[in-house]
Amino acid sequence: MEATQAIPVKYDMDVVRWFTIMAVIYLVVGTLLGVYIASELAWPFLNFDIPYITFGRLRPLHTNAVIFAFGGCTLMATGYYMVQRTGATKLWSNGLAWFTFWGWNLIIVLAVITLPLGMTQGKEYAELEWPIDLLIAVVWLAFGFNHIMTVAIRKSSHIYVSNWFTMSMIIMITYLHVVNSLAIPVSLTKSYSIYSGVQDAMIQWWWGHNAVGFYLTAGFLGIMYYFVPKQANRPVFSYRLSVLHFWALTFGYVWLGAHHLQYTALPDWTGSLGAAISLAMIIPSWGGAMNGMMTLSGAWDRLRTDYILRFLVVSLAFYAMSTFEGPVMSIKTVNALSHYTDWTIGHVHSGALGWVAMVSMGAIYHMVKKLWHTEMYSDSLVNVHFWLATIGAVIYVVAMWVSGIMQGLMWRDYDEYGALTYTFVESVSAMHPYYAMRAIGGVIYNLGAWIMLYNVVMTVRQASAARGTNAVPAKA
Amino acid sequence: MDVESMTTNDWLGVFFAVFVFVAMIYVYFMVFRPANKDKFESQRRMALDDDDHINSGDKK
Repeated sequence: MEATQAIPVKYDMDVVRWFTIMAVIYLVVGTLLGVYIASELAWPFLNFDIPYITFGRLRPLHTNAVIFAFGGCTLMATGYYMVQRTGATKLWSNGLAWFTFWGWNLIIVLAVITLPLGMTQGKEYAELEWPIDLLIAVVWLAFGFNHIMTVAIRKSSHIYVSNWFTMSMIIMITYLHVVNSLAIPVSLTKSYSIYSGVQDAMIQWWWGHNAVGFYLTAGFLGIMYYFVPKQANRPVFSYRLSVLHFWALTFGYVWLGAHHLQYTALPDWTGSLGAAISLAMIIPSWGGAMNGMMTLSGAWDRLRTDYILRFLVVSLAFYAMSTFEGPVMSIKTVNALSHYTDWTIGHVHSGALGWVAMVSMGAIYHMVKKLWHTEMYSDSLVNVHFWLATIGAVIYVVAMWVSGIMQGLMWRDYDEYGALTYTFVESVSAMHPYYAMRAIGGVIYNLGAWIMLYNVVMTVRQASAARGTNAVPAKA
Repeated sequence: MDVESMTTNDWLGVFFAVFVFVAMIYVYFMVFRPANKDKFESQRRMALDDDDHINSGDKK
């Protein structure tokens, strides 16, 4: 390695610590909101006829909380952490990093205020109104500029693959967010998209799927390529495969969005193209998943004792599973059955609960130990959390698979006279056991998040107490 | 194919599709070229080696 790495570097880690803590808090809040709205679907009286807590208003708050609050804080914590360590340099601007911390959290507070009040653009995963959209653009650009400038001033000659994934996410999300959010404001809290009709739908799902592709995949693959080798204490299985994974994903993902709009007013060929590229994307996705898993070659026994590594490896299993399931669902024949059903919800959550959240949890546990120079308060609680997260995610996903396929089959069933066999209400009634099962899976998953928060808080307190004890003789 | 009726958007789409296709072939060639193997794989340990220069800036 480079000679410069022998020189100790003082990093800017306070901002990383705060992003890490906030990520864990938002994990608890976001999944708790998910449990509540899942319960509302199973037991609608939980609306209590209060408009602010109806499913339609809390659902976007749940998605914003888990994707942008938990996911965003995780991405910024790990992004700032990895870019400093792999580049052997401090952040380009610690002040700008703190601006992103306060700015990002202000956006989350504004989401908590506006979404329950019904202020929304009505665009999925882009519900926040135009003043908040502008703030998102400013804060995101600050994060991106700081990250890219830190790469520019690195002291290592090579840019590690994790930083490539993070920068790809930064550039594409800037582009996607700005284009998708173009709107004409009519008041401070209301605006109308500049797109209409099928163009609006196409732009929306160009954004929607690439938010999955670049924010929830590329960004978290950056995390995977850094934290799996670190936690396993093994080099990446194949660096060449990681380079291929990066370019194939970056070139390929932007073509997929139209597969969300099969059998709509969108020209037929666009949906077919989206499905074809989706299927092609199985190759780099599985290549990347295999690369992560094979990094454990020669160290598989560590899974018995290293609970943090379990999070990272199981997340890769979910990544492989959901990146196979997604392309299959994009095929028109399968899509005819799956679209508009709970199967889609199950697919999304196998990616969200299984891949994104599990890889984040593994990375956060790893960082907490490094950032506070301590061991976890309780390794047993990490293990308990692992099993609660795994069992909760599996119960959730299985419930939605069964529910979704049953829905699709009931909706398309005809009797001998060509009339629908089931009314829509009958299909809703048939879903009830699975909605209850989904809520139970969510409760289990959320319980794991509470345990993680307790364990992280106690670890930080333990580290602070130890530092205080050590400081006494020094002062004496 | 009715080339005469293609719009600027259509041509831009064709250009980017062909560019991406060629670029991907170049990436595959570059990554799998035996002469490049050591150059790429020498970075495998980069994440592991960053503990050598750690001073995470704790307040004393």
